[in-house]
Amino acid sequence: MWKLLMPLAVLLAVVVGVLAIDRPRKRADVVMLNGGDASTLDVTRVSWQQDNRIVGALWEGLVRNDVFDPAFGKLPGMAERWEVAADGKTWTFHIRANTAWSNGAPFTAGDFVFSWQRGLLPDTPSDYQGQLHLIKGAREFTRWRTEKLAEFAREGAGAERAKEAAALWAETQKKFDDVVKLKAVDDWTLVMELERPVPYWLDLCAFEPFYPIYRPLVEAYQSLNPATGRIEARSDWTRPPLLVTNGPFKLVDWKFKREMRLEKSEHYWNRGRVGIDSISIAVVEDRNAQVVAFQTGAVDFNTDLLADYRAEMVQQYRACLAEHASEVAAMEAEGADPITISRRLPADPRLNVHPLPAFGTYFYNFNCLPKLPDGRENPFFDPRVRRAFSMAVDRKNITENVRRCGEVPSGVLVPRGSIGGYASPAGVPYDPEAARKLLAEAGYPGGKGFITVEILFNRDMGHDLIAEAVKKDWESQLGVTVTLKQKEIKIVREDLKKHDFIVARGSWFGDYGDPLTFLETSRSDDGNNDRSYNSKEFDALLEAAGNEADPAKRLAILKQAEERLLDDSPLLPVFQYVEIYMFDPHKLTGVSPHPRHKQQLFMLDVLGDGKGPEKPVEMKRNAQVRP
Amino acid sequence: MRVILRRLVQLPVILLVIYTLTLTLAWAVPGNPLERSERRPSAEVQAAMKARYKLDSFWGFYWSYLDNASGLKWARDGLSGKAAAEAEKAKRLGVAPPARRVFDLGPSLQYEDWRVNEVLMGSLPVSVTIGGAAMAIALVIGVAAGVVGAMKPNSAADFGTLLVALVGVSLPSFVTGTVLLLVFSVWLGWLPVAEWGTLRALILPSFTLSLPFAAYIARLTRMGMIEVLKSDYIRTARAKGVSERDVVLKHALKNAFLPVLSYLGPATAMAMTGSFVVERVFSVPGLGQHFVNAVLNKDLFMIIGVVLVFSTMLVLFNLAVDVLYRWVDPRIE
Repeated sequence: MWKLLMPLAVLLAVVVGVLAIDRPRKRADVVMLNGGDASTLDVTRVSWQQDNRIVGALWEGLVRNDVFDPAFGKLPGMAERWEVAADGKTWTFHIRANTAWSNGAPFTAGDFVFSWQRGLLPDTPSDYQGQLHLIKGAREFTRWRTEKLAEFAREGAGAERAKEAAALWAETQKKFDDVVKLKAVDDWTLVMELERPVPYWLDLCAFEPFYPIYRPLVEAYQSLNPATGRIEARSDWTRPPLLVTNGPFKLVDWKFKREMRLEKSEHYWNRGRVGIDSISIAVVEDRNAQVVAFQTGAVDFNTDLLADYRAEMVQQYRACLAEHASEVAAMEAEGADPITISRRLPADPRLNVHPLPAFGTYFYNFNCLPKLPDGRENPFFDPRVRRAFSMAVDRKNITENVRRCGEVPSGVLVPRGSIGGYASPAGVPYDPEAARKLLAEAGYPGGKGFITVEILFNRDMGHDLIAEAVKKDWESQLGVTVTLKQKEIKIVREDLKKHDFIVARGSWFGDYGDPLTFLETSRSDDGNNDRSYNSKEFDALLEAAGNEADPAKRLAILKQAEERLLDDSPLLPVFQYVEIYMFDPHKLTGVSPHPRHKQQLFMLDVLGDGKGPEKPVEMKRNAQVRP
Repeated sequence: MRVILRRLVQLPVILLVIYTLTLTLAWAVPGNPLERSERRPSAEVQAAMKARYKLDSFWGFYWSYLDNASGLKWARDGLSGKAAAEAEKAKRLGVAPPARRVFDLGPSLQYEDWRVNEVLMGSLPVSVTIGGAAMAIALVIGVAAGVVGAMKPNSAADFGTLLVALVGVSLPSFVTGTVLLLVFSVWLGWLPVAEWGTLRALILPSFTLSLPFAAYIARLTRMGMIEVLKSDYIRTARAKGVSERDVVLKHALKNAFLPVLSYLGPATAMAMTGSFVVERVFSVPGLGQHFVNAVLNKDLFMIIGVVLVFSTMLVLFNLAVDVLYRWVDPRIE
């Protein structure tokens, strides 16, 4: 008999053993869900909003976004002050003296030069290399090194390869110093000259891929491959206790897809403003379990509410506001932001949901090539056809009856009211009558003779419901036949890249506070131009805006460009996204309702815990821009 | 002894075949693992990243992965002094040198900062804990239910346990898991949600995971017991006047347990490599999620890594069961 108990005893011993070794930590001041685990914390490589958020908490760039300023002004970061020359091209940043990395090593202007050089190298490229190429000579440097590496590979094997690779690397360093106009004049002065005036340059300097990295750490984790001449980098230095950062927090623990623990850094220059001692970024993958985790108190802040029943939660939030209609109206008139309004109302669990407009647009791509992948003539090559299809979609019906989370129906690409000083064009109207006329003009009266339109989309997040609504509009208003095609996201992306589609779902979230972040994806040579839209006029307008030094005139030109884009309709904007946060506004403050959805985690503050400023943070009301 | 040795020698060969098959299949999956968001990096950046991960050619990847994962590269770097040079460099720069692993399973493509080894080392203990607890629960419930059923076949108790077993096998764990979570965590508030590392947090996921196994074990035990209880030696034991308790527990169970034991090998390997559904419902940071996510992300290194770990565990647990078998029943050769 006791022999039979053996397997049981062994199993139990294993369980007890693992549990004894692997103890959970004490609860952090704030536990947040950040849409899954970070994909990378390698500053040069980051590109996801979720990753950027954590990088922004651990590191500090030249400047920081004032996320509570509707115009998104800039606050000093590692740069104490800065000036730009009259030509708008030469920028000088004065680095704060006596600041240190989290291991105590002094911080210098050269740290920025090293970091940006790394992003420019073809060996260790940043996804935002294109933005770094705005620096004079940067593009030439990347191209030069790419060619040299190709040459090196062609030369083939030899005994002296290691030496040659090292020589090429030394030459590369020299080339960088010679051609790239990015210089650390001394330890506290960083000077850069740009190709042309870039009004949003400061916004890029506040953008996380432009943050500095700790040089010795990165260098210890890379090596020169003698066979290819390339720098081979590993990214596993982003783990505690190795990681060295310069921001408000330091990373004390990172368990993959489990928990990331940030604690206040004693070396941060502005440590007095840090509102909490510790943040835990937990991972709850299941969308409905995320809500349960919040309701049971295990989580304080969910940055992306995606539960299946989120539309119902938003309806309840609205119902709650409606019960206090007169107070809400008064606060709105006063200019209070939506989070502040929820906080000033009596506590109610329905008010823990915060649907906020985002800096992203949901749209449909039209294939603009003359021929379809199967060789047939593509009717969508004709801009009139595309515009007709765009005008036949009832966007309001989609936001109000399909999405139901407070999305803003939109006939424009750049989200309305999200960029200071930019007046959006009127946009594509819902006008089935005009749409039919336009389609007839193009040679398809009543949809006769039109190909069967296939809508391609990926299989989650209710894209099928939207496609159904669009299908119904096109079939009933234009008389065409529409079929739906669902695929896995990776396969959809592959099809888009190969332009193997007729109509396909797409979306875009802006990176920096300028219309260009949306518009440039339709430039004929842009890598994200899935539509193969090719308009000389549109390209020329973007070019003209690039050469315009006067910011107001520049935005006017960009508006023309967007008008042009909407006239040609290579894409069909459907709505402006909302992002739904979940937190108790009476307990947690410091979350910005700004559409850019950049969150400065060091501003988070638990009200009533005696730590931090203990004062609710509200959106500033100086604004021309509606938050 | 010789059996154990033979199995252990076979293991690398089995793994090589599995690696080749897995890579061939995973390579054929459409999609680009380096495109992780709506934002597509420029063509130059993509080419550079492909070169970084040796994704340009199948055979280039095949041999380079084999070189790293088999320990050959580790040995070469150690002998040629490359490893020492790197450690020296890191020391000069004042940071800890990069970790060197004998069997280096490469980086994750989806989570660039992580080596597959680290991911597996982090999530395997979690899955082993849940799987271990689940198998323990399954054994207790399953064997007890099976014995009770077999004592009085076709009685109410027998039908009751059979019914429960049927429900356990048929109900998918996302249903049982969600219901248990709703009742015990949300309504009653007895057990935590989205927590890991305490005994309390272990209860619901391991119970949910145990149900299908328990049901299967119950049926195996019942069948075995009914068969054994009819045999001559049991009749002899009863005739000798051995108490019914001793007949069942000492004499019958030992033989009736053998089918259960052979089922335990693959079952434990399954349970201990995690369940995607249970992990998702209870937010358990286990291994099961990687099986699904790695394929969706086309994360080649991760796909191969989890498959190799699962294969190794399957071979080892089957070996362990064989050894146990001989020990429980010395008649088996």
